[in-house]
Amino acid sequence: MSNFYLNRRALLGLALTSALPVGSVWAAGQPLPVVASFSILQDLTRQVGGDRVSVSALVGPDGDAHVFEPTPQQARQLQQAKVLVANGLDFEGWLPRLKKASGFQGQEIVASQGIAVRTLPKGQGHDHGHDHGAGKEGHDHDHDHDHDHDHDHGHHHGPNDPHAWQDVKNAIVYVRNIAKGLAKADPANAAQYDKQATQYIARLTALDASLRQRFAALPAERRSVVSTHDAFGYFAQAYGLRFVPVRGLSTESEPSARDLAALVKQVRAERIGAIFLENISDPRLLEQLARETGAAIGGRLYSDALSPDGGPASTYVDMVETNAATLLKALQAR
Amino acid sequence: MMQSVSGLAAAAVHGIDFELSNLCLGYGGKLALRGVSGQFAAGSMTAIVGPNGGGKSTLLKGLLGQLAPMQGSLRCRYPRAALGYLAQACEVERDFPISVEDFVSMGLWAQTGALGAVSDAQRAQISMALATVGLQGWQPRWIAELSGGQFQRMRFARLWVQNPPVILLDEPFTGVDEPSIDVLLQLLQQWHTRGRTVLAVLHDREMVEAFFPQALALAGTQLAWGASADVLPSLAARAGARRRA
Amino acid sequence: MIAELLWQPFVDYGFMRRALAGCLALSAGAAPLGTILLLRRMSLVGDAMSHAILPGAALGYLLFGLSLPAMTIGGLAAGLIVAMLSGVVTRYTALREDASFAGFYLISLALGVLLISLRGSNVDLLHVLFGSVLALDDPTLYLTATIASLSMLGLALVYRPLLMECLDPGFLRLQGPMGSISHALFMLLLVLNLVGGFHSLGTLMAVALVVLPAASARFWLRGVGLQMALSTAIAMAGSLLGLLLSYHAGIAASAAITLSLGCLYLLSLCLGRLGSVRAQRQRPANDSVSEPMGVSE
Repeated sequence: MSNFYLNRRALLGLALTSALPVGSVWAAGQPLPVVASFSILQDLTRQVGGDRVSVSALVGPDGDAHVFEPTPQQARQLQQAKVLVANGLDFEGWLPRLKKASGFQGQEIVASQGIAVRTLPKGQGHDHGHDHGAGKEGHDHDHDHDHDHDHDHGHHHGPNDPHAWQDVKNAIVYVRNIAKGLAKADPANAAQYDKQATQYIARLTALDASLRQRFAALPAERRSVVSTHDAFGYFAQAYGLRFVPVRGLSTESEPSARDLAALVKQVRAERIGAIFLENISDPRLLEQLARETGAAIGGRLYSDALSPDGGPASTYVDMVETNAATLLKALQAR
Repeated sequence: MMQSVSGLAAAAVHGIDFELSNLCLGYGGKLALRGVSGQFAAGSMTAIVGPNGGGKSTLLKGLLGQLAPMQGSLRCRYPRAALGYLAQACEVERDFPISVEDFVSMGLWAQTGALGAVSDAQRAQISMALATVGLQGWQPRWIAELSGGQFQRMRFARLWVQNPPVILLDEPFTGVDEPSIDVLLQLLQQWHTRGRTVLAVLHDREMVEAFFPQALALAGTQLAWGASADVLPSLAARAGARRRA
Repeated sequence: MIAELLWQPFVDYGFMRRALAGCLALSAGAAPLGTILLLRRMSLVGDAMSHAILPGAALGYLLFGLSLPAMTIGGLAAGLIVAMLSGVVTRYTALREDASFAGFYLISLALGVLLISLRGSNVDLLHVLFGSVLALDDPTLYLTATIASLSMLGLALVYRPLLMECLDPGFLRLQGPMGSISHALFMLLLVLNLVGGFHSLGTLMAVALVVLPAASARFWLRGVGLQMALSTAIAMAGSLLGLLLSYHAGIAASAAITLSLGCLYLLSLCLGRLGSVRAQRQRPANDSVSEPMGVSE
């Protein structure tokens, strides 16, 4: 009789413990739900996590993280996630509020942890619709205020430049941080994360070397570029370019002759090779500038978001390659 | 303006400028004038008389081809552009910045067209026309400087320069001062003596009696057409009958 | 010093020279038309027409982007359709020309705004409305110059019948269809100039070049031909002043040009020789007409 009971308990125990491997296999089979703050981080996380993670981005491709307004669905998405990958450096001004609103309990990875932060120089061109005098701009934007201009660059960071991913070496740091974070949240797959991260880092290292080499080949006087976008500070620093900000030329309203003359003078004086003015939407004005100054008109630069699938910058590596190719083409053209 | 070939030939042979056969004219489907039949002979001078609203202006418009006949027929010897016409209501912009000479030169449109220059000979014509109406020397003045009477004289000068074979006038002397009327009546007589056909809508019975050999009385329909000595009494009788009734 | 103020900007910068060239060409074509518009009491038609061409240009923009030929043809078509429709309505219904035109141009304008909002953003609408005189490229310059030449030629052709139609339409009607033909041609020239102007100055400002100089010239000269010449000169002067203002004071270019034209108009209004505020106060009580002048043309 005790044999029978023992047997039954043993049987039950066996049955129960047999559920464990099945259960854990089943649990292990579900990918880790991760939310990335924007598309570039989403891509990096996917590269590290592979099929072990299911990454969604809050600010999708072609989106603008500066003027992003999260929807209730995204709040829910965040609540159900186990990991949040954010950039940090005040890039996502809306994130603290969203985290609180959604009641996110998981782990947050700050991707930019540990990089050498670059500060924005005083008087860096902030492209709002007013004519700022030189030197006053740095102060105007130390506080968070809502711009409701209908243009798409309401930069209001602190003094730090958050666009660290533009330097591929920093992207490597990002990847390491992400891998570490994922491993902490999902130790079972830590080895896989590590392996994939290493592979990807190797790719990035090669990319970085290639970029350095190609840009080094540019003559010294063909390294200046005019841009209204101050997102390429790290890129410029890493690869030896100079991004000259343009002042005063606003987007929607018509330029005055004085503003245009000032730009022409600047381009001529600093012997700038290429002009990238994304937010002057009249292409004829750009052509006029090119004609007047002899500078080349650049194409589109991708700074804060990837392009949608099928576009030229749908992954981080593609984005960097595309930007490099665009810049090189403009600077080498004559 | 209906012109049949045979009609044209017939008219030329008999010297008839207009042939009307039971002509009915109206506006927007409503008849304003019915049953006018007769002829305007070449070189005739006819006054068109009758009460207000009787259809006198309507008849002129029909003769000019601005109104198509609703019933009946109308044959004219000349193309419309060859007719001379002095409209009643003055549509002219009085203070338009144009000189008297340029205004009168409009009469030469058929010769100059849009682009032709005005030759010296033509300017002499204009000068003579202005002299005829008593406005000599007014060539360089702006038309805005003219008084009412002078303005009408200038319009006559334009007609003079145009020199059409047929001249239609719609109440040409309304609101014009006496001296101007005298000058213009003389002009009409000169046209008549030169063989031009003159038709004028008039209100002044004495003027008709004195200057117009022919008359056509209209009061919504044709009352009488012939020598003014015969036509005018019938009109007066009708008016008298109305008053008594 | 003077040179620096007046000439230097044009010497130094190609875009200033092109802007000036474009404006001068536009003035030559548009200003004389303004004199006729004024004489025919159609000044507001000019403004209305500039709105009427909007959907055509917007359609061209939607289908072909910022393409010169597409937007030109589209604008032309829209303007002509509106002119034609209002002419038909005036002829066959009880409405007079001003009301029928008003009806159609408003519909046209709304269509234009709708079309632009479908694809473009507010920025695009602003560009269409305000133009970019500082961004004149070669094709646009050629187009403007061609329009100006065609305009002057066309005006010479229909000058006499146009004036006659304004002065004494009854008389002209008897001479044949010249009156309506010349009116149609005049509307065509107007639309052409507005379409040409809208590429550089935008729809709103292009009409300023048509109306303001002509209104200013009215206060200085009597004869029609002389008024046309003077209004052309005023338009050119206003363009020059406006560009300089934009250069030295940093005002948006087309607004600066329009403001300059406006100032010249106000000056003429107050100080002009004929019928201005000053002249009205100076003239004796019974003299209603200014002194006679030489033969006008």
